Amino acid sequence: MTFGVCETGIEELDAQMGGGFPVGSTILIVGSSGSGKTTLCMQFLVNGAKKGEKGVFFTITEPLFKLTSNLEKFEFFDRSLVDDGTITIIDLRIIFERLGLDAEKYTVEDTNALLGVIKDIAKELNVKRLVIDSITALCYRLQSKEMIRDFIFKLGTFLAAKECTTFLTSEIPPKTFIFSQYGIEEFIADGIIFLGEVERGGDLIRTLQIVKMRGVDHSRIKYAMSITSRGIELAPLLKTR
Amino acid sequence: MYEWIERDEVDFISTGIDKLDSLLEGGIPKGFFTLILGVPGSGFEILIKQIASNGNTLLFSTCETEEEIMSTMKRFGWNPENLEIVDIASEYAKRTLLVHGKRSSSYQRRIDLDLKELIAECSGGKPIERGEEEDFLNMLSKRFTDSRIPEKTIVHSLDFFLDQYQQSEIIKTLHIMKMSNMKKKGAVFVSLTKGVCGELFERKMESIADCVLELEVIRKGTSFDRYLAVKKMKNYARKIGIARYIIDESGFVLETVERIL
Amino acid sequence: MVSTLVEGLKERVLTSISMYQSVCVVLPGTNYQDLIQALFNCMREKHTDQWVYITVTRPFDNFVKMFGDLSRYPNVVFIDCISRSSGIMKRDDQCIYIESPTMLERITMEIKHIFRNASEDMEKFIVLDSLTSLMIYNDPTLVIEFFYQLLNRARSEDIHMLSLVVEEGELDRHINKLIYLNDKIIKVRDTFI
Repeated sequence: MTFGVCETGIEELDAQMGGGFPVGSTILIVGSSGSGKTTLCMQFLVNGAKKGEKGVFFTITEPLFKLTSNLEKFEFFDRSLVDDGTITIIDLRIIFERLGLDAEKYTVEDTNALLGVIKDIAKELNVKRLVIDSITALCYRLQSKEMIRDFIFKLGTFLAAKECTTFLTSEIPPKTFIFSQYGIEEFIADGIIFLGEVERGGDLIRTLQIVKMRGVDHSRIKYAMSITSRGIELAPLLKTR
Repeated sequence: MYEWIERDEVDFISTGIDKLDSLLEGGIPKGFFTLILGVPGSGFEILIKQIASNGNTLLFSTCETEEEIMSTMKRFGWNPENLEIVDIASEYAKRTLLVHGKRSSSYQRRIDLDLKELIAECSGGKPIERGEEEDFLNMLSKRFTDSRIPEKTIVHSLDFFLDQYQQSEIIKTLHIMKMSNMKKKGAVFVSLTKGVCGELFERKMESIADCVLELEVIRKGTSFDRYLAVKKMKNYARKIGIARYIIDESGFVLETVERIL
Repeated sequence: MVSTLVEGLKERVLTSISMYQSVCVVLPGTNYQDLIQALFNCMREKHTDQWVYITVTRPFDNFVKMFGDLSRYPNVVFIDCISRSSGIMKRDDQCIYIESPTMLERITMEIKHIFRNASEDMEKFIVLDSLTSLMIYNDPTLVIEFFYQLLNRARSEDIHMLSLVVEEGELDRHINKLIYLNDKIIKVRDTFI
């Protein structure tokens, strides 16, 4: 099978990946709260949308209005992409509610129903880029590692077949170097991007590192990352002692 | 809704059971908070209803619906004229049924979803508004701080609240009830099944209560002896006593009265 | 008042920067003011070119006080690395404030962004004021790495770079290592001109 690439629009990142992420791959975006996961995902969606690729953003942790009002601060964000339906932002909690899933723990049936709805939406909207923010909040409701594995695996396979590239965000405690809360998400993902920080002269510098990317010859160098109104920008991290 | 009864010289509120009143030498002192402890089979739910059927009463019922209560009362020939029932049991059943109904059919619900409509709803940007579900404990304290509360108030039973809330929260609410009752000089009855929630909580409850009535069942050969003990009576130590009772078609019948002090 | 010293400095700098890709000016603190004046004159004169002025020595505000309204220099974008970390919270469209002089990569990103938006036919200049100040806030090896990167990038993208070193007498050994990376070194002495 030959795959095309899916550009994020973040120059250095795409360059590292040989132009972009393999189309149809599932990438875990790992970072603690405030590390820029949501921004990275949005930039990924918007960049696709500007090229006519439809995208969907499933949010669990942040309410819709908060998410969009944060996005307005970025120059890359274009309200019209949402208005014309190129990007659809979906509040997963409403889906939970509509499925009657108000319990904290889901049964296998619940999980399948949820997976089904996410798949249906991806199909209906014919998206090429999909984000779930965060997979951690979702996994929290699944009762076992097997269920988590099954969920991510099935979702990934379905989306890969649809040539839809997927970003899943994974929330970890600050100052830790693990990739996921449940220790399982990272094994199913094709790629892992780690958003961390390093200390320099008492200041914290945001970093981004491609930890793993199946089928791509990438380096594991760390990038310094900045989040400004222009969104995420990268520059090779100067070596700190 | 309720008429304030002119306070006369009487310092007691009748329980509605003559012999119990006489065991208590007049009834429950005004402003008292009474705990009714009972073991299953002691018929304390009947005692509660008998107390409720007399005088101006507000009954919070968590384990029986209004319908059940009324039919039991009818069977005993009690005709409560000024009884209001807050039917928590029905409300709770409705809520759990609703949730249960939802849970059992997430598969079906998925099939029934209109995808286009769902997408429109989920991307609408409106914050989710959940239907306000009233907190039962909150409801209790709210009703109690309301000035228009009848003379007698009964909570039957605390067991329900113990399943739903933290003990500390419950105790806080009970204190609120106790204080406002003391000011209004009414009578509050709270029931609790003995041995359900641990001795420590029972002890705490007994210390909060001004009066503790305990219903016991003792097996004697092939029959059961039932006893009603007045375990605590604040400031009326001589009223502590115990009486054997039976329940016949008219309700509670206290047989012998023994004084401990 | 036209000072001959300033005028001379300006001429020297202008000639060097046109001839060489990277120029380092080493000067004693007493002449700093003169050189800044000369540099501003340069930027004024080459107003059709795109300049980026990185200041780690003085807050942007100080330049405004010295030279008045800097909108007369529309071809210059300032990158101020010290105001924010000194608690100066001002805003100016002509200046990009970086949180801390330790965030060297941010400088790289901002430069890239500024030049990306500059038109093709403009010549591009970076003024780094100064290597000495960068050394104060950062580990010397870090500054060396940063400078290498910046210089290489400038070379590959045809950007002229002018770095300042404010030192008296003997140079710091790290700075000494750095300045020889430049194509041209101008040492300003009190006896200059």
